[in-house]
Amino acid sequence: MIDIISNIKERIEGFFTAYARELPGCQYADLRVEANDTRWASAEDGKPKAAGRDEGGSFGIRVIAGGEKKAPGYYGRIFSLKDLSHIEELIRYGLAHAYARAMSNSRNKARVSSDLEEFGRTLTSTELSPVEIYQDTVPALYKTDPRTISPQEILRLSEEASKRIKNLSGIQFNDVTVYTQSLGELFVSTEGALIDQYFAYTQGNVYVVASGKEGQQELYEYVGDQRGWEAVSEGINVQGMNLLDFSMRVAKDALALADAKPFRSTEKEAVVVTDPYFNTLLSHEVIGHPTEADRILKYETAYAGRSWFFKNFSENFIGQHVASPLITTYSDPSLPGYGHYRYDHEGTKGKKVIHIDRGILKGFMNSRQTAALLGAEPNGSYMATDASLVPLIRMSTTVFAQGNTDPQKIIGDVSDGYYLWGMHTPSISESRENFTISAIKTYRIHRGELKELYRGGGISADSMSFFMSVDAVGNDFKIYPIANCGKGQPMQTKRLGNGGPTLRSRARVVGGG
Amino acid sequence: MISLDTLKKIASDGLEFIKTQKDISDAEIFISSLSHLLSRVNYTSSIPCNGVEEPKSTLSYGIGVQAVFKEGNKNKIGFGSQIGDISIDGIKSAVEKARLSAVEDPDFYGLPIPSKAISGGTILNSELSMVPPEIHGYHDQRLMDISDDKLVELGWRALEGALKTFKEHQMMESIIIGGDVSIVQERMAIVSTTGVVAWDEAANASASMTAMIESDNAKGSGWDIGMRLSDFAPENAGKSAAMSAIHSRQGRRVPSGRYKLILGPQAVADLLCHIILPSLTLSVVDASSSTFLKKHGEGVADRRLTIYDHGAMPDLPMSRRYTCEGLATGRTDLIKKGVLTGFLSNNYYRNKVLNDPSSKDKIGVEPAAIEDAFVPRNGFRPGESMLRNFMTKPSIAPTNVIVEGSEITPLDDLVKMIGDGIYIGRIWYTYPINGLLAGDFTCTVIGDSYIIEGGRMAAPLKPNSVRIADNIHNLLNQVIGMTGDRRPTLLWGASEVIYSPDIAVRDISLHSIG
Repeated sequence: MIDIISNIKERIEGFFTAYARELPGCQYADLRVEANDTRWASAEDGKPKAAGRDEGGSFGIRVIAGGEKKAPGYYGRIFSLKDLSHIEELIRYGLAHAYARAMSNSRNKARVSSDLEEFGRTLTSTELSPVEIYQDTVPALYKTDPRTISPQEILRLSEEASKRIKNLSGIQFNDVTVYTQSLGELFVSTEGALIDQYFAYTQGNVYVVASGKEGQQELYEYVGDQRGWEAVSEGINVQGMNLLDFSMRVAKDALALADAKPFRSTEKEAVVVTDPYFNTLLSHEVIGHPTEADRILKYETAYAGRSWFFKNFSENFIGQHVASPLITTYSDPSLPGYGHYRYDHEGTKGKKVIHIDRGILKGFMNSRQTAALLGAEPNGSYMATDASLVPLIRMSTTVFAQGNTDPQKIIGDVSDGYYLWGMHTPSISESRENFTISAIKTYRIHRGELKELYRGGGISADSMSFFMSVDAVGNDFKIYPIANCGKGQPMQTKRLGNGGPTLRSRARVVGGG
Repeated sequence: MISLDTLKKIASDGLEFIKTQKDISDAEIFISSLSHLLSRVNYTSSIPCNGVEEPKSTLSYGIGVQAVFKEGNKNKIGFGSQIGDISIDGIKSAVEKARLSAVEDPDFYGLPIPSKAISGGTILNSELSMVPPEIHGYHDQRLMDISDDKLVELGWRALEGALKTFKEHQMMESIIIGGDVSIVQERMAIVSTTGVVAWDEAANASASMTAMIESDNAKGSGWDIGMRLSDFAPENAGKSAAMSAIHSRQGRRVPSGRYKLILGPQAVADLLCHIILPSLTLSVVDASSSTFLKKHGEGVADRRLTIYDHGAMPDLPMSRRYTCEGLATGRTDLIKKGVLTGFLSNNYYRNKVLNDPSSKDKIGVEPAAIEDAFVPRNGFRPGESMLRNFMTKPSIAPTNVIVEGSEITPLDDLVKMIGDGIYIGRIWYTYPINGLLAGDFTCTVIGDSYIIEGGRMAAPLKPNSVRIADNIHNLLNQVIGMTGDRRPTLLWGASEVIYSPDIAVRDISLHSIG
């Protein structure tokens, strides 16, 4: 199925751009086509549960058209291999709908601008910031092609991992799910872009419920990479563990936590050291999301929220200190992992974007439309989960930059405090100005050493206060996968990368409710 | 959208094909055609914008086949799907994928056998009904045939509802309006060798709007749901959102502490969606991760509180005649007068729980003694805000969830009873912060909320200034009272619609933030 992308690209480009250019008032149109082949399996309590192979295609069309106030319209749908014989007909049908919606949208925009004059001044014509136009092919990175792995082989690995977990004393339930996927994408625009990119993803999910001295404990973690089957079979991933070893690590952690006492919230702030795995979720929620330009420009007010960095063009933190001088953060699609790509879903080459440079707020991830509004250069951050869906501004790999302190020294210098390891669950304010994030494991630090293990611990802090209080940054930079970031309407669940090194700061350490 | 006649014919032809396959002992063919049309709104009075940002749609259709393969004396169950090809070739492709991926799942006890197909013998799911509920008129043809112009117009009407309201109140600056008008169209047909023959079609429209006066930190929400295009008024959602924002200007903060709260319908719905309903789902109980483990038959909430799922209630948006297993929808009591009485279920988990010796330890009683507590009325295939995704096997999903009280108190009286406390109108990022099992949750109050002082709504609560952090068991058992008017809430990313009154609770922990 993936091969169809390279087979149809020339044929589709010629037809699509010619047809779109004939539409009166059509300023711009683009087409995204995707084909995927996914193989998967799951096992539960050592028993096989399911296996399968899904393959399919989808496409999405954007048109910007209209009169004085141009406006966008979109259309998306799936297709099968059988549809390839008449794919032009399907695309033409979709283009007609996207165009009709754009034209109708433009008419309504002009009407409302006139009827509600006071509000109409910001209802402006849709513009895209100019970008360099590319024609390119980008191959997938893998050692073992996902398309060579059968569902039954995946099932064998899942079942073995699940059986090993089940054999541990104290395990109440476990579920292991694994998939490996090949993906091909095509981008065509009326500006002349013609880009096909290919990807491989492989991931294993482990869910465990364990019973111990302090009751029951559930734990869910996943391991994966933008790689072929080797990501789980050979441990070529950030955890450096194959699925069998990773599953056992998760299960043993769940058992240890089931024996650990629940954490009781501290009344006051304490010194906290957070590991790279915990900081993956921190960088995701409190740095990555609020540096997405669609949140900056209020597009997400009804859904995913706004940004604590930017109230409006006259009230914002651009150029100001929002963090300790030890903190630098950035997004970079050239980094390896789930967030890696060369071009985004409107053909813009992905660029490294510095968000915070030594404590000072600098810039945001954007799309061509939001870049035009912000007067910024497009940086290639406009991505969709599936070609039939409209892209959103998305993190590629958003991280805290590496520091220069040994993490052992960061812990060793703490007289009394807490060490939080591993990402669990976030609870975030609407503009991300405040957060509570729970850890998998919370240890007390006493006289520079890790002491008691607690379960159910996390930190709660005002974002700016937390970042301003960072007084040590580790030299142990890591990138972890985020498998399920939800954004958009309808919600799109996206893979991307986050991470950073060990950090030390101050926060309230919180336990259960 | 593919016609219902086509879906039914291909399903029927497919079943004939399957009967020719010597290695298949039983099979089920599910075919669906789904369309989601959406006008996404984004207006800002100080930043250039499009008003209606995304008039768009996604169309998908295909086939999902579950088949039982005989291999010697073993039975293997396989699932295969075919996207975008509703034809006998598509059926063959899905069957072949099912064959290649079949597994010997010891917890699989057979496809659903509806009661009318039973011909003697004892069958575990003998009371499964295929007799559909008497509900009609939930697939308005005008919603099924909606034009591009109309889709765009509905989005602008939602926006204009808010803009005109702000204009009437001379609020012209620092305005943000967002949200969407969403139209769901779905058709499905299902047949099986075990006697299932069912089809269904449904359409509904909804508007979910948020309005802000950002300089005043004021945020309001509004919803409208329509089963028919003629009844649907997205401008009302925009108007409600704007009015609520106007009323919540210049909100005040409150210090951290334990408070009496009145939870509005959205707040109750968010807690249900993210904390309570997952724990009332049989698959979660089976996985030992429900916060209601071993609690069946016990009091888990205030005795005045009842929660049920009803997939067949007339005129509600998620009502359907059949589940995605081809069984009749209906009412499942989950918590009745405070007592845990039932679980959302599908056929697979019903049979697994009935046959698994460890189930008693998870549920709290012998499952065979309470079979009526988990009748498979919720075997749906959720995906992208819809219930009929052909690419997955049936899982378990709620439909219309109803919360009601046995003693009703008007809101004004409830506010007086509270005396001093907070009305919580909208929360978000509600998560089981330490896992479902623990019951701990946190969420942030982001709008539509008011400080109650001296038995009256005294002032708006500043959005994003408090986080609730408590345990769901505390909340369910510390009810003070509730109102009688159930209002619907659509939650971002969820397929169910939750109807809830306002519920007052005591002694809940709030943390001042920001």
